[in-house]
Amino acid sequence: MKKFIISFIIFSALFSCKSQLPQLVKIEGKQTTVNETIASNKTIENTIKPYREKVEKEMSTVISYTPINLYRNDGNLESSLGNLMADLSYERANLVFNSRTGKNIDFAMFNYGGIRAGISKGNITNESAFNLMPFENSLVVVELTSEKIMELVNYLISENVAHPLSKQFNLTVTEKGSDLKINNAALDTSKTYFVLTSDYLQTGGDNMNFFKDPVNIYLLDYKVRNAIIDYFKATDTIKVSLDGRFRNEKTLKN
Amino acid sequence: MKRRNFIQKSTAATAFLTLGGLSLQSFASKNTKHITILHTNDVHSHIDPFPITDSRYPNMGGVARRATLVEAIRKENPNTLLLDAGDIFQGTPYFNFYGGELEFKLMSMLKYDAATIGNHDFDNGIDGLFAQLPHAQFDFLSANYDFKNTVLNSHVKPYKIFVKDGIKIGVFGLGIELEGLVDPKMYKETIYLNPLEIAQDMSRILKEEEKCDLVICLSHLGYRYKDEKISDLELASKTKNIDLIIGGHTHTFLPKPTVTKNIIDENVLVNQVGCFGLNLGRIDFYFDNDKNLASKGKSIIV
Ligand SMILES: [Zn+2]
Repeated sequence: MKKFIISFIIFSALFSCKSQLPQLVKIEGKQTTVNETIASNKTIENTIKPYREKVEKEMSTVISYTPINLYRNDGNLESSLGNLMADLSYERANLVFNSRTGKNIDFAMFNYGGIRAGISKGNITNESAFNLMPFENSLVVVELTSEKIMELVNYLISENVAHPLSKQFNLTVTEKGSDLKINNAALDTSKTYFVLTSDYLQTGGDNMNFFKDPVNIYLLDYKVRNAIIDYFKATDTIKVSLDGRFRNEKTLKN
Repeated sequence: MKRRNFIQKSTAATAFLTLGGLSLQSFASKNTKHITILHTNDVHSHIDPFPITDSRYPNMGGVARRATLVEAIRKENPNTLLLDAGDIFQGTPYFNFYGGELEFKLMSMLKYDAATIGNHDFDNGIDGLFAQLPHAQFDFLSANYDFKNTVLNSHVKPYKIFVKDGIKIGVFGLGIELEGLVDPKMYKETIYLNPLEIAQDMSRILKEEEKCDLVICLSHLGYRYKDEKISDLELASKTKNIDLIIGGHTHTFLPKPTVTKNIIDENVLVNQVGCFGLNLGRIDFYFDNDKNLASKGKSIIV
């Protein structure tokens, strides 16, 4: 009974307190930089540890070797790393595409900006692949009309950047215009072409709008990074060269 | 039967005592109440500090350090909320290997109170996000993503009201338009609703219906854009009854929180603390029951 009375008094006190609304009178804003002056919480540290060890072990695993530095900017309209990326993606993706459709991909095209890091000569680790391709993009094959292929060609010429292209695609910009060969043949306006790219670019990334409304689209459910890792694992020593698959003869003459 | 009755009564009495006790204490000892809001955004799986050799952020960041900082602030003021404005996922191999499990586990250990959903939180698809929810002991808030036809249905709330020291704090979440930013096969049937209309609704519900003392918008819209795209600053200027917008997405490092005007010319704070857990944002709100003091208006020190 005693308890009940006490609680009743408090309850009414609570109400009278509530009748006086709290007013916001002061706001203070500040920011703290998280740096080495702040000690690490040990419990958190211990929770992270087993995860970190597994990641580090996996990331430092050597999966291939390159005798030369691989960069995206060591050529004019092509690069060692761009050529490698496009060729290896073609190789890995075509295995999947061919087994599913019985057809072959015609060529691969990606974007210069998508190459996020170079690979220094020496051992190649899983980490190299993560740095090269930190995003979760997947490989897709689009079936394009010859008109869309011409849009693609015009895009490449106007961009004048070393966008990664696989070796099946040869484009030379000349005084008269341009010379295009796909698998050593001139563009055939009566046929469609299977082009490998990433889902990011297919959906309009980097303004590659010619990928947007293809005749057909084949999602390979194969991440670009996984294709890179699978290729490295299967290749003891990387061989890559600049072969002039995309070049400008006008600039060469100048 | 009698015994059961007694237990019920004493439980009720204890509840009153605790509730009253707390209120009485703060009521009697001082008229001021102090709420601290801590926040992060776009941490992007940055669990470890950056390497000492990093060119931009050498030896900066790190969840274990953030934990120390948060713990110290909570000790100083138990009436603290810890919030995240989205893009928890994607940026280090921790995400690629564990799909966000460690990010959510650590945020739970730091006792995050709520987070909103960023575009990169869909990077393993809506199913990938759903699969990690058991590791998150905090709420996901989004008022303008309609998840009713997705696996996230009922797992994400539009808003949550926290009561700290008798102060009602309403927090609602806002997400960025996903179309063109995220592959539709990742977000599936998620419906994006107009954030401005939703914010107007939310602030009315929280302020007028729920009578919150403080309304906070947890946004992943972005700080500011050159074009018409809705941003935190735009939102602030076209709404009322929002006290603080905690933003993300644009990885904006603000030297200090922005004080801007809302649609009825009242002050709104907009803050964002860059990215990668390099900084911890902190906003302190002081309340007073003294009518004389309150009538002088609020001072903002940033
Ligand atoms: Zn982000």
